[in-house]
Amino acid sequence: MIKEFNMLITGVGGQGVILMSELLGKSAVKEGLKIRGSEILGMAVRGGSVTSVIRIGDEVYGPLIPMGKCDTLIGMEPSEALRNIAFLSKSSLVILNTAIIVPFTVSLGQSQYPRLEVILDKLNSASSQIIKLDANHLAREAGSLLTANIVMLGALFGTELLPIKMATIKETIQARFPAKAVPVNFKAFDLGYQACRQALK
Amino acid sequence: MKQLTISSDAPGERLFVLGNEAIARGAIEAGVQVAAAYPGTPSSEILETLAGVAKELDIYVEWSTNEKVAFEVALAASICGVRAMACMKHVGVNVAHDPLMTASYIGAKGGLVLLSADDPWAWSSQNEQDTRYIAEQGYIPILEPSSVQEAKDMMADAFKLSEEFRHLFMVRSVTRVGHARSDIVLGEISRERRKGSFEKDPSWLVYTPAVARRNKPLMIERFEEIKKRVNILPYNQLRLADRARLGVIACGLSYSYALEAVKWLGVEDRVSILKIGTPHPLPEELVTRLLKSVGEILVVEELDPFVELHVKAIAQEEGILVKIHGKDLVPVVGELSTAKVTEAIARLTDSKPPVDFAELDKLEQETAPLLPWRPPALCPGCSHRASLYAIKTASKKVARDYGKDVEPIYPGDIGCYCLGVNPPLEAVDTTVCMGGSFGIANGLAHVVEAPIIAHLGDSTFFHAGIPPLINAVYNKANITMVILDNSATAMTGFQPHPGTGYTAIGDETILLKIEDIARACGVKFVEVIDPFDLKKATDTIEKAIRFDGPAVIVSRRLCTVIEQREKRKRKEKVIPYLVDQDKCNIKCDACIELLGCPAITKQDGKTIIDSSLCTGCGICAQICPYKAIIEERE
Repeated sequence: MIKEFNMLITGVGGQGVILMSELLGKSAVKEGLKIRGSEILGMAVRGGSVTSVIRIGDEVYGPLIPMGKCDTLIGMEPSEALRNIAFLSKSSLVILNTAIIVPFTVSLGQSQYPRLEVILDKLNSASSQIIKLDANHLAREAGSLLTANIVMLGALFGTELLPIKMATIKETIQARFPAKAVPVNFKAFDLGYQACRQALK
Repeated sequence: MKQLTISSDAPGERLFVLGNEAIARGAIEAGVQVAAAYPGTPSSEILETLAGVAKELDIYVEWSTNEKVAFEVALAASICGVRAMACMKHVGVNVAHDPLMTASYIGAKGGLVLLSADDPWAWSSQNEQDTRYIAEQGYIPILEPSSVQEAKDMMADAFKLSEEFRHLFMVRSVTRVGHARSDIVLGEISRERRKGSFEKDPSWLVYTPAVARRNKPLMIERFEEIKKRVNILPYNQLRLADRARLGVIACGLSYSYALEAVKWLGVEDRVSILKIGTPHPLPEELVTRLLKSVGEILVVEELDPFVELHVKAIAQEEGILVKIHGKDLVPVVGELSTAKVTEAIARLTDSKPPVDFAELDKLEQETAPLLPWRPPALCPGCSHRASLYAIKTASKKVARDYGKDVEPIYPGDIGCYCLGVNPPLEAVDTTVCMGGSFGIANGLAHVVEAPIIAHLGDSTFFHAGIPPLINAVYNKANITMVILDNSATAMTGFQPHPGTGYTAIGDETILLKIEDIARACGVKFVEVIDPFDLKKATDTIEKAIRFDGPAVIVSRRLCTVIEQREKRKRKEKVIPYLVDQDKCNIKCDACIELLGCPAITKQDGKTIIDSSLCTGCGICAQICPYKAIIEERE
């Protein structure tokens, strides 16, 4: 029996949050796992907050994670991770891309972006551990900023908490991208994976 | 190995899909031959999925001009013996309401299914409407899925049930079904393709008063038969617990939350559960059995107390005295969740949730003030930003002639451009429904003295903008009607429409020009502008507002998302703009404060343009008083 495992991927429209959940979902199905989830987004995706819910387990029914029941939160953007703090518990793991995206309302003087330390403090007190990485930097190192989501996916696998084999997710990535984009994505995945292993040492 | 897709005839295989893809798959399995829709979140992906396999599977798929037409297209196919469906969002059902109420008298020959996608919490809608009331009004049975798998299964079954009972069926989806993701087990695909034949039968199809009077009782008879059947449909399931004092009646998706809640609270042996898959008509026998077996009932459903009221009616009818809870404990606004259902069941079972929700609520509230506001915004390079800016500039100028304190009024509509309500544009004064901008403008013209400039998108114009435009001409409403033509139904995912020259399946067709329609409707002032030529656009809009009588402006610029996509395909480079810091007056901020473009931000006191976001539209360069914004040339 597969135990309930709840993940939230949070970020900003355009960061590839939905794609991450697609890759995870397809891989989970290949492994014979039961999977439930949902996309939570507002009116126009672009620039707004986006959350994707992924739940694995034999006794998972609903498409949403109850508050306080998220096992792993994958934050593509610090303030968006903080926005979902109520889903965390003291046993949750947070994997955080530390690269911030400041919304235009801050330039307009309508809101403020908190200091990164404040975000980290809050998330720290609400979870068991934060794995921090600059996924944007690693993505550029891999060859394209667009692969920051794949870096984060690699980091998620670096936790070795998922009941999905590395070979399976790589197979899914390979099938999803045009052949010439595969090496960049694999590199991004590996960089994220290593960064996470390093952080966990 | 061939990759599994939504059209694979591979019964028993598992596929990871979006809820709306599952709904499309159900229709495919049922052998649907005609599918029509107007795009609307959260329903759009259903028809998009069908359009993608239309040629391969020989299905006629169309984007109709509006939901009424879409439903009529499906109804006609059904009358001719062909399996057909129409899909729409909840408010779309209002547009189709007129034919729906008579279609239920007609019933169905070929299986006829209406898919309504409700949007609790109004994630991308103007209201949270419970369409089950509309179905009830028309004696239309409803199937309401509890999961993505069931959405597929119900969709396939709905066609069979519709044919068996010769009656129209509705499948009610909600955002958290249509936009849920799950693995599903595929069923067999029906390859049956029928040739439609029209049988002339006025006593069936011509709704004169006499025919209506004759056919209403027949419709009710069919409905009574369906009422008996729902008691044994697998979608309704009663599970009685031995020691139960509480009975939970959970409708549709709420069933998944109820199951988790009961398990989470560890009260499985103390709570009986009735799963409802047909909120209308309810399985009365099952409801009665549950009512008789417990001391208290909790009805769990999203949005309005639809099932709750019917359960109360059954209790009264059967003379059962039992306390029935529902919306007193479960919110009537917004989406439900396992947490909300857990709280309600905990109260009625004297059990304690393993998680302290109050604590988490407090944490959320404490955190909220720290978070930056990240509303959805018009994209960088969006032509609507330029159009709305030009409208405001021109109308403010004209308003001064009306009097010192006169403000122009901007009735708006449904589409991306309603984001123009936010600062700094603030160019939307009303948003009610599709086409409502022109309709409201008509009314305003007869009661207020101010420039009235209404705007709506191209797809919205074809959907519901033409009758109020004609009304303005006929009734001499002195208004300016601007069509923001970006050649796409952008908000819902860039679907084609009559102004694009392409059909749902990508075939070329006649391209209708909005300016031609406006002229044909008798509008005497019709001009086409390019919003990216701000000066000329503003001058032309000013002339339109000053024109005595209804005037039409077509503001035409391709949606920037599509344009960027096409540029990438053509390997054409985008030349972004940058701020010449030597010329920029850091105290000015006009570009930021007037346009609100996400690409323009302040960094360390300097105004900068994010070159990764800038599409090179150049609007900011046109308004910069210091000519400090210039093209970035290598």
